[in-house]
Amino acid sequence: MTEKIFTKEEWSGALETLKEPYRLFGPVKDGDFHTFMPLDGDKKPDFDYENSRLSPKTIIYPESERMFEYSLDETDDDAHILKESPKDYSPCAIVGIRPCDVHAFQIVKRNFDNPEYQDPWWTEHFESAILVGLGCNNPCASCFCTQVGGGPFHETGLDVLLFDLGDNFLAKALTEKGEAFLEKIQGESADDAVLKAAEDLKQSSEKKITAKVPTDQLKDKVTIELFDAPFWEEVAFACLNCGTCTYLCPTCWCFDIQDEVSGKQGDRIRNWDSCMFPLFSLHGSGHNPRAEKFQRVRQRFMHKLKYYVDKYENGVQCSGCGRCVRYCPVNIDIREVCKLMNDFA
Amino acid sequence: MENWEPKIATFLCNWCSYGAADLAGVSRFQYPPNFRIIRLPCSARVSPKFVLSAFRHGADGVWISGCHPGDCHYLEGNYYARRKFALLKGLLEHIGLEAGRLHFSWISSAEATKFVDVANRVAKEVEAMGPARFFIKSRAEVA
Amino acid sequence: MLKYTEKIVETAKRLLAEEKVDVFIGYQKGTVPMMNEPLLVNHPDKADTLYWDNFCGLNLCNYLTKRTDKIGIIANGCNSRNMATHIIENQIKRDQLYIVGIPCEGMIDHRAVVRAVKNREILNIVQEGSTFVVKGKDFEETFEKQKFLQSNCAVCRHRNPVLYDEMLGDPLEEQTDVNPYGDIEKIEEMDSEKKQGFFQRLISRCIRCYACRNSCPLCYCPTCFVDESEPQWVGKSIDPTDTLTFHFLRAYHCAGRCTDCGACERVCPMGISMRQFTKKLNKDTEELFSWEAGLDPEKRPPLDVYRPDDYNDFIK
Repeated sequence: MTEKIFTKEEWSGALETLKEPYRLFGPVKDGDFHTFMPLDGDKKPDFDYENSRLSPKTIIYPESERMFEYSLDETDDDAHILKESPKDYSPCAIVGIRPCDVHAFQIVKRNFDNPEYQDPWWTEHFESAILVGLGCNNPCASCFCTQVGGGPFHETGLDVLLFDLGDNFLAKALTEKGEAFLEKIQGESADDAVLKAAEDLKQSSEKKITAKVPTDQLKDKVTIELFDAPFWEEVAFACLNCGTCTYLCPTCWCFDIQDEVSGKQGDRIRNWDSCMFPLFSLHGSGHNPRAEKFQRVRQRFMHKLKYYVDKYENGVQCSGCGRCVRYCPVNIDIREVCKLMNDFA
Repeated sequence: MENWEPKIATFLCNWCSYGAADLAGVSRFQYPPNFRIIRLPCSARVSPKFVLSAFRHGADGVWISGCHPGDCHYLEGNYYARRKFALLKGLLEHIGLEAGRLHFSWISSAEATKFVDVANRVAKEVEAMGPARFFIKSRAEVA
Repeated sequence: MLKYTEKIVETAKRLLAEEKVDVFIGYQKGTVPMMNEPLLVNHPDKADTLYWDNFCGLNLCNYLTKRTDKIGIIANGCNSRNMATHIIENQIKRDQLYIVGIPCEGMIDHRAVVRAVKNREILNIVQEGSTFVVKGKDFEETFEKQKFLQSNCAVCRHRNPVLYDEMLGDPLEEQTDVNPYGDIEKIEEMDSEKKQGFFQRLISRCIRCYACRNSCPLCYCPTCFVDESEPQWVGKSIDPTDTLTFHFLRAYHCAGRCTDCGACERVCPMGISMRQFTKKLNKDTEELFSWEAGLDPEKRPPLDVYRPDDYNDFIK
């Protein structure tokens, strides 16, 4: 596979020309934080960043997405017939995405794109995307990607991986799609010294992640015992039952479907939903199996760290990006909860 | 907008202002046809949600009318309503609703002439604002 | 403010040991800088983790709603005013509460600190008297607390608890020369179009996570209007009008009840300043009805009473 080195100026220039073949998305400084946005107009990406506040899952899986539309005008021949809403599935490139967020796509893919079920919108969006990752030279103190099967330079799922070597980027193509992307960028082939520098960077970065979040015992726990563990009320006490953790999480995939009618135009829209909200599990009968706060908090952690583990046998449903750790308004720390669950006897 | 006529969602209390509208009608008084009257038991029944709903559905104006202070059929409903409305109007105009779109009045069931007079003023003021553009929920702006 | 930690631990232990309270609600030090976690202690031996510093900017009153036990709880000015509001609204009984008052110098705005160190990662913050030291991987900077107060704290007029059973310190002098509504007055000067633009931009980042609503002790309805479906008052997507409707109605529900504790803004993951809605109502209730929320648990709130000569100029 190709490895290319180019200066940061060359990269910026290349991005301008790449706007033609791709819809480009990248991290843009947006007030106090970064957001993945379409790089159209004069929007300049800023690659000198930790990670975006909202995860880039918004590009593949928007917070609100029109699925179908229909007419309620009886004079229309196709009144009341659901039609799929047109979408732009032309090739897009997400540049500067962090490896943890790419790992998260792999986790979510098991839900949205598996032999039994394929979500057409998620799958089409995902397949239209080229993931051009940027390794983390300086992971945050709240990051723990290495503990959940990833790493600051983790390559799985990426099409291209960029190494920030100061004045230059080293780009490594990892898939055919990535090769095609790199072909469009001028650059020199990387010599051994550069590859060595990149390898050193990767290793030193991995060492910076000191958090210990053991997950090895989770699969052997008895589900019902964990479910009935005595610590849930305590874990949940501070929880506000807001959706911050689930909405910022790159691996949370739940949604709710709503029909909206405006005049004679109807739309079927899906919106992110959160297991933190009481309405999430409210039955039509009025019964709510998760009426209590602690039940909802337990659901979030059990889903991520036990049900997912058992169902897919492919690790936990967490990529270690640390967003919920950093932005939970009341500091409920998944690392601590994971330890409680993993050590529970 | 050559043929544009404002639509004004009008909430009238059953005991006074609705009676006044009725009396204006049977007295064959002329007043503008821009009002979509919704009869409520009391001006205090008007929830801010009703007002927002009207604007969200594209009403160009909202007019709420009840009994004169002291004349409430339920003794004090309109007193409570007045406090609610003062804050509602303040906050709506704070976020950008134009001052000529939301109107309140006290009209007793005997005051058909006042009803016509206020109706004329409200219609004129709302018309001067032009078609509503703010706070209208049309098709969801989503991906 | 740090000095209160020891006193809080001591008090909680005493209250729990003497069985004056069944539980004690306070904060524990968080696992990340500038975040503290509300904590419920039910045994004197567990009280040692209680903690207090200038990052306790949530509202503990949130954790009282409909509890039936006897509760010891920490309260600064705004939190105590919410407790008074809770008592007025029958969400808790006064005799269930043992309020441990703390005169509050104000909470530090965590976003301002992040901005001041230019978004570099903060690893630790040490508070010393009127200053605090921010430590990162390769920097260390000292700042004055006073310059980094949350905007609601900077203009706070009730720093001392209005309701308490015990005070852990001498009352502070209240600030009287502050204008709490400066930012609102600026908005009031704008024309309608500018106001619309201002508020549309203000909430444009909202992700409808409801952290603002849920962090607010005033929001305890069993079913929130956003979840009502017959009729549905507001759509669930991130459509700008729906988002504005949500923020408008959330604020309006706080009319005459908001103590400007700032929890809503503090918790917002997107940094939205939703107090620009609630403060307008605070200003109006103060001007029209001479009312500030939560100053007296015996007084009925402004929308629960009236005067025959109330403001009437806006009515034809």
